[in-house]
Amino acid sequence: MRKTFLTIAIILTVLSVILSALPLDTLALAPIGLALVFIFITFKKSEIDERKVPKRLFIVVYLCAIVVLGKTFLIKDKVAVDTKFEKQKIENKQEAKKDLEDLESIDKDLH
Amino acid sequence: MKKILLITAVAFLLFSFKTDTSYGIPSGEKLVFVGSYNMSGLMTQLAQVTLSTDIVSTSKNSYLHLNCELETYAKWDKFFKIRDLYESYVDPITLKPSLYKRSIDEGGWTKKEKYVFKGNSVTSTSKRKNSPETTKTFAIGGSTQDVVSIMYKLRTMDLSKMKTNQSQAFTVVFDEKQIPVTVKLLGTETISAGNLGSKNCYKLSIGAKTDVLKGKDKNLIYLTADTKKVPVLMKFSIPVGTGQLALTSATGI
Repeated sequence: MRKTFLTIAIILTVLSVILSALPLDTLALAPIGLALVFIFITFKKSEIDERKVPKRLFIVVYLCAIVVLGKTFLIKDKVAVDTKFEKQKIENKQEAKKDLEDLESIDKDLH
Repeated sequence: MKKILLITAVAFLLFSFKTDTSYGIPSGEKLVFVGSYNMSGLMTQLAQVTLSTDIVSTSKNSYLHLNCELETYAKWDKFFKIRDLYESYVDPITLKPSLYKRSIDEGGWTKKEKYVFKGNSVTSTSKRKNSPETTKTFAIGGSTQDVVSIMYKLRTMDLSKMKTNQSQAFTVVFDEKQIPVTVKLLGTETISAGNLGSKNCYKLSIGAKTDVLKGKDKNLIYLTADTKKVPVLMKFSIPVGTGQLALTSATGI
């Protein structure tokens, strides 16, 4: 049973590291939380001389949590400069102006 | 993200209450929100939503251009880039819409819509990615707004006349059909409003006869309890989760 929990804890720890490295913000907290639970269970089921691995896993996951929370609260989010979008906005406005002119012509014809 | 925009728009619903004539929507106003979604139990900032106004003139008329943009933050663009544009061209005084345009690009999936308002009918043109263009004409009520102009219409209403738990039914056009919506005043609360500081706000609950919104009184909007009625916070609950739009910057108000 201890081996099963240890295996799951290792998998979750690896997943935590991967998701923490990617710019996915708090999404990484899901595997981090689960990893901590499984590490704790593994730690409790381990003999004193078997606790080295769970302890190291805990340190890795703990660091992942710090990285994720640090990125979430300390790094300011920015929108990229998107020239294509800016161009689209200008074109949309020009098209709209033409549509409004057409609409006014129709209204005038009706009246 | 389309749902978030709908909720955002619907959140500012039209009221049939007496218009507060002491305040009109100014040209040059810019409201910037941070859009967050609940991920792993924490609100994760995903996108920036900007509401802005300016005047557009034709040879005969001037229109108030109401612009709503949604852009994902740069770090999310590699995973799921969103560039949505919702625009409405309205009468500067009555806010009655003449033209509504929607141009969305969500992870490469695109859709363009154009609604032309002619009296009590709307002619809509819709074009989805890899699909032929469709045109539809449907009748609307006299007070039906589009989802952008209704945001601003609400702000011209006198909410101080409403009683707590009083609600009202309204109609907006979205996805080439009319959607009935109800708004209920839940009271007032003090809310952090970006560069405006803490503000006493009207707390409104939004309900719509659509699958987009979920839960009772879980879709909320907070408007400053003053003549400007600046939207400062919107909370939404949809079938796939919860999120919010929080005001970070308000200029030109």
